Amino acid sequence: MTVTRVTFPSKTMDNGIILETHKLRREFGALVAVADVSIAVRAQTLHSIIGPNGAGKTTFFNLLSGNITPTSGRVLFKGRDITHLPVHRTAHLGIGRSFQITNLFPNLTVLENVRLASQALGHDSFHFLRSHRSFTRYEARAREVIEMVGLTARALAPARTLPHGDQRKLELAMILAPDPEVLLLDEPTAGMAAEQVPELISLIQRVQAGGQKTVMLVEHNMNVVMRVSDMITVMHQGEVLAEGTPDEIAANEAVQNAYLGGGVWRPVANGGK
Amino acid sequence: MPTATPSRGFAVRAWLRANTGPLIVVGLLALLPFAVALIDGQPLAEVLANQPGQAKFIQGLMIEVFILAIFALSYDLIFGITGLLSFGHAMFFAVGAYLSGIMIKSFGWSLAPTLGLLAVVAVVQALLFSVVLPRVQGVTFALVTLGIAEVFHIVIQSRELVGYTGADVGLQGVIPPAFLSPAAQRLRFYFVALGLAVLVYLLCRRFVDSPTGRVCIATRENENRALMLGYNTFYFKLTAMIISSLLASLAGFLHMLYQPIVSPGIASLSYTVNALLMVLVGGMGTLSGAPIGAAILRLLTFYFDKWFGQSSGFILGMVYVALVLFLPYGIVGTWKLRRFAWRSGWARLAQPLRPPSRDGERL
Ligand SMILES: Nc1ncnc2c1ncn2[C@@H]1O[C@H](COP(=O)(O)OP(=O)(O)O)[C@@H](O)[C@H]1O
Ligand SMILES: [Mg+2]
Repeated sequence: MTVTRVTFPSKTMDNGIILETHKLRREFGALVAVADVSIAVRAQTLHSIIGPNGAGKTTFFNLLSGNITPTSGRVLFKGRDITHLPVHRTAHLGIGRSFQITNLFPNLTVLENVRLASQALGHDSFHFLRSHRSFTRYEARAREVIEMVGLTARALAPARTLPHGDQRKLELAMILAPDPEVLLLDEPTAGMAAEQVPELISLIQRVQAGGQKTVMLVEHNMNVVMRVSDMITVMHQGEVLAEGTPDEIAANEAVQNAYLGGGVWRPVANGGK
Repeated sequence: MPTATPSRGFAVRAWLRANTGPLIVVGLLALLPFAVALIDGQPLAEVLANQPGQAKFIQGLMIEVFILAIFALSYDLIFGITGLLSFGHAMFFAVGAYLSGIMIKSFGWSLAPTLGLLAVVAVVQALLFSVVLPRVQGVTFALVTLGIAEVFHIVIQSRELVGYTGADVGLQGVIPPAFLSPAAQRLRFYFVALGLAVLVYLLCRRFVDSPTGRVCIATRENENRALMLGYNTFYFKLTAMIISSLLASLAGFLHMLYQPIVSPGIASLSYTVNALLMVLVGGMGTLSGAPIGAAILRLLTFYFDKWFGQSSGFILGMVYVALVLFLPYGIVGTWKLRRFAWRSGWARLAQPLRPPSRDGERL
């Protein structure tokens, strides 16, 4: 199995690398979920991770965001080692993370979910004798983001009462609210109705390009991935199978065989649906 | 949805409107001693002079309710709001009662330094309970807190400390300051206890509405997500514990002033269970449920003892089972849900009649 890898010359922010891993590894008992993965993510690009279910994509994200600790290896953010940073600290560095499985505050309203997300990085969370309403900027930011994802009509509904597609939008709103520099999006469209997907993807693209942000995206829809990505990493059984631009990945034989089902991938006319 | 900066008068009016229910209750409670006297045919002057009678007796019962209400509120803060199941909450109360009683009786301290020391100790014991929080959660936390509280329960009953604590008999002989004597100044004590209960309630409400309180609720709802957002949830749980401990100690302090004997039973698990029951019956996480639960617990216990004698415990248990079965979210919780369903039903009915709203702020 040939491994195609784009190698980056250096490991510092000067070369435009914002997030990188060195031989990152995570074992669950005998299972190696992430096997010595080294990747480098260029700042202000949209970098996708693809691979079949169980390839280790979610585990990889969990290692990046500090949700779980690696068995070995390192994670660098802007050249700084963040491998063992506790999970609540990574958010403060400007790394936002969304979840494949909906992970909300179910009994709180949409507005409160997003408001909490925007309050998290401010320095007002230890006021306990003033109403949260007097800190208007968090609510204003929350409403702005809710508007962006198109949930304004449901702003005061408890999160648990939303249909699945809207919960995915809420999930996205919560990661956008604190305005992170790097967004780790784990299958943001999972389980969404097909017609809602392009809308969400174009929102992600707008946020990425407009805010000059770095997005790492796990996504199963190949048309979407091929269209929006600057760079693609293909994972398979915990390992990096290939890495390259969409064109390189589409032409890569190993990927064709292992992942794209043997056939050559061709763009679909109505790409993205 | 731009909101104009509300004027002060507007804000006050809005606050009054939002709190009509509690305000009426407080107003009625302020009138209660006099209403009882009127019904009982006792002249009001006698009530003001703290003469014995039904009015004075009811005041005593209600003082106990107010103290329990503060205790229940302090428990709702950590259990209902922050989602921490502590089985050692009785210790917070008992430390308030014992420490202040011992300082006044054995060391001759006056009220102000006693309260100051109590505040310091309350913070320290909250820290003691919280050191384990980053490591243990849920039932394990409950058992650890139970362990700490049981040690305290045993210590205050030990013979070695009998000179201070009265061991298993309890602490007695504390002379409360004359201006707050529960017998000679009952009416004043009544209003002080009522005032403090109202103050604590408002304080808890403020806390829950504050940025810190909102994060405590988020921690209860989904701690993992709160962490992911960047909140170090430990500090929020710790804050809730400290405030809760301060309030429970205040309740214990009032208990010590009011009761002629402070029994070691207030440090036992069953006293924590009382707090849990009051919060569950009233509606956990609702705050306003806590004083309602306190009133129900104290009044039912008292009147069932009076009416049913020996079998009151059994009947009381049946009532609690029925309450939990029929009002699973407690009195306030269930009422809020019903009212919500009721309102959204009307909203649905009225919907076609309304022009479609653009920003859809309906629900
Ligand atoms: N907490 C865990 N404990 C044990 N095995 C796990 C755990 N999390 C993930 N795995 C395993 O690791 C592998 C990779 O899973 P995952 O990262 O979720 O893959 P993907 O997101 O690419 O579908 C799977 O085989 C999965 O069963
Ligand atoms: Mg996954």
